[in-house]
Amino acid sequence: MKWYEAISKIDRRIIYLCLTIFIILPFFVPFKLRQNIMPQTQQLFDFVESIPPRDKAVMISFDYTPQTMPECHPMAIALLKHCFARNIPVVGLSFDIQAPGLAVEALTTVVDELNHKASNHEDSLFYGKDYVYLGWKSGFTAAVLDMGESIAGVFPRDYFGHPVDSLPLMQKTRNYKDVAIAIVLSASAYPEYWVLYPQSRYGVKIGAGLTAVMAPKYYPFLQTGQFSGMMSGMKGAAEYEHLIVEKGYAEKLGRAETGMNSQSIVHLLIIIIIILGNIGFFFTRKDQKRS
Amino acid sequence: MALLLLIFSIAPPTQVQAIDKPNDAGSAILIEWELSKDDETIEKYVILRSTLPDTISEKIGSIIRGNNSFEDDNTDNEKQYIYTVAAVKDDATSYSMPSDIVQSSPQFFNTGRTNILVCILVFTMFLALFVQRARIGKKLFVRKIPGLDAVEEAVGRATEMGKPILYIPGLGDIDWTATIASMNILGEVAKKIARYDTPIIVANRWSVVYTVSKEVVREAFIEEGRPDRFKEDYVRYLTEAQFGFAAAVNGIMLREQPATNFFIGRFWAESLIMAETGAQTGAIQIAGSDSVLQLPFFVAACDYTLIGEELYAASAYLSREPLLMGSLKAQDYGKLIVFVILILFMLLSFFNINLLYLLEVQ
Amino acid sequence: MKRRIPLVICFGIGILMLAQFMIPHPISREFGSTVNKWYIVLAAFALVLAIGNLIRHHSTKIRRKKTDWPYSIVTLSGMVAMSIIGFAGGIDPDSLYQTIYLNVLAPLGSTMFALLAYYMASAAYRSFRARSLEATLLLAAAFIVMIGFMPFGQYISPRLPAFAEWIMKVPNMASQRGIMFGVAFGSIATALKIILGIERSWLGGKK
Repeated sequence: MKWYEAISKIDRRIIYLCLTIFIILPFFVPFKLRQNIMPQTQQLFDFVESIPPRDKAVMISFDYTPQTMPECHPMAIALLKHCFARNIPVVGLSFDIQAPGLAVEALTTVVDELNHKASNHEDSLFYGKDYVYLGWKSGFTAAVLDMGESIAGVFPRDYFGHPVDSLPLMQKTRNYKDVAIAIVLSASAYPEYWVLYPQSRYGVKIGAGLTAVMAPKYYPFLQTGQFSGMMSGMKGAAEYEHLIVEKGYAEKLGRAETGMNSQSIVHLLIIIIIILGNIGFFFTRKDQKRS
Repeated sequence: MALLLLIFSIAPPTQVQAIDKPNDAGSAILIEWELSKDDETIEKYVILRSTLPDTISEKIGSIIRGNNSFEDDNTDNEKQYIYTVAAVKDDATSYSMPSDIVQSSPQFFNTGRTNILVCILVFTMFLALFVQRARIGKKLFVRKIPGLDAVEEAVGRATEMGKPILYIPGLGDIDWTATIASMNILGEVAKKIARYDTPIIVANRWSVVYTVSKEVVREAFIEEGRPDRFKEDYVRYLTEAQFGFAAAVNGIMLREQPATNFFIGRFWAESLIMAETGAQTGAIQIAGSDSVLQLPFFVAACDYTLIGEELYAASAYLSREPLLMGSLKAQDYGKLIVFVILILFMLLSFFNINLLYLLEVQ
Repeated sequence: MKRRIPLVICFGIGILMLAQFMIPHPISREFGSTVNKWYIVLAAFALVLAIGNLIRHHSTKIRRKKTDWPYSIVTLSGMVAMSIIGFAGGIDPDSLYQTIYLNVLAPLGSTMFALLAYYMASAAYRSFRARSLEATLLLAAAFIVMIGFMPFGQYISPRLPAFAEWIMKVPNMASQRGIMFGVAFGSIATALKIILGIERSWLGGKK
């Protein structure tokens, strides 16, 4: 077999092996790539940056599942770090039945990390005062609409069973009027419905964190201003991590950065094999024409 | 004292109008008002309702400042109501004049959907026209669709190789139009299979789709005069779990090595997992879907792909039934009208004339 | 007669459901909701048939010791075990059913989803060949988007990420919408053809 025939017919198992190596490599050999920040990620970061500290809360709707965790979970972690670093209270909730476990994990990870570093009582984060997780609720449409009147009416008790009215943060976060922005982290159609129902009725600002495959569908929402920013896939999460590190809200980059390194070099690998395939194809065709 | 009152008092909302909510099933009234002159500084508007003959007002809801409408969706159709709107700021409350008496009632036609009705009527007219023309024997031109031309070859190849044909009617339930279109194509494919006596495996995700596809295949065998050749095991139910289904289909491909794979219907993220496994087994693959995000994957991994509307044209194309061919022409004219409307609205927008409200659906 | 009855039912219910969409009156809503309930009941009966098919297929496979028959034992025992656990212990968040769901089914689903990365690479390698002008254009667009969205993109040209974004927002969105127009008309035509009895492939033929 000639060299150009060989490169146009690489065995798929060789491609899979290379892919595995390229995915795993960045986890053991860390390196840093400068992220070019997409305008929609910058827009979301700037919005959160503009919220006054200890004032209105950021509502995060954790609506992703274990399948889409690698893309959406780092977004949640980066967002939480940003909010807590700026003393912005966070109200979490979920409408996807598979999400609560992941939401609690994200909150616990960030709170434990920050409390570990806290030098005094003032710097520490407290449940009920700085953050709350309301848990899961069925009947999405009715619930998001009713929260415009009363959040405690929709979630009488939080995920851990506390009466929501008894939590200091929820006493001052009664409805969307007390929410600076609702950020929906999802791999499905939830962000669209947040725009359709609570935004059109109560004017609540909406941000989104979406898997890369879903993001193209939502570009028009950015163009019309219905989204106040968006993180798109693992790249969006990595960009947000870069932004919070640049501003000094976090010391080191998170998982998305490592994931993005894997993704970037895997993309590079795919580009290389496509080029190889085309070189092989070009010479094979030339050969065939000649003969 | 009077000066103090003047400083702390707020202007009330004015022009409160309450009307029966149009195009609904009753039990709802729309309340609209002119914003308070102090809208910038107030906290919210509180909406109060009194039910005649009582004159006592009860609070039925509130809405944050900047909003000038509210929907009361909890009314009795037989009762009469009067509404008042109050602007609220801290302890200060300023009431509007009451609205006129209003009563909610259900409607028999949703005028907000007139545009849809017109479109359906126009489209049905085209359909009737072209079906009639086809009936009188007028020849209609349909461009070649390579994916559909390959069906005959694909069935023939499986027969020669003595291997089965795998047909996936998508992962959507029967309420997806793509699944219904897939059932129509399955009918045509099953007829060819009955003629050649080739085994087929129809793998289903939903129970209703399973029962429908089983009947479609059985009827196709009866139609071809070969009811004895139909086997219960040809049509299988696998699982509702999305990736569980993909795993099961991959298992069938690797174990039973079908010569031809059809992926026709609605697909999600599992599309490439199945199509690429099929490509690895060396099967001829024909895909057809209206899932825009999945089409690139099918194009990459399959030999032929029916893109979007080609899926809906397939049944007519395969059967060459004149009546069905006529319907394709109606589709083309429908698209032509939409194209003309798009261009027209775009040109009008250059002159600041916005007619988009004509297309709004309630 | 056997064909005529389904056609009449299809036409009648089709027209009524169309009218139901246009009429907001409570009687019309009640009708719509009743039809939906009927569908749920039918689906429940169909599920019994479907499960019957599953059990029959796999038990036959085990009995006749067909290729890879032990997997059929896994399928059937998994189905029976999950049913018993669900009925006996409930499906609350702390139940054994949920634990198995989250720790077995969810990771298995994630694993299948993750296979996409491998399949994307091999499919891209095999199919992205500059065979024609159209294929070359597609290849060029894919390259620009992939490189533009990667951190390396900005090193090649600072304008590349913005250009990649433009490709996604403008030509990509425009072509998607074009396909969607065709799909919409195809859907309407299919629905009308079935309601009006022009399309009869689902009944096995034209007679």
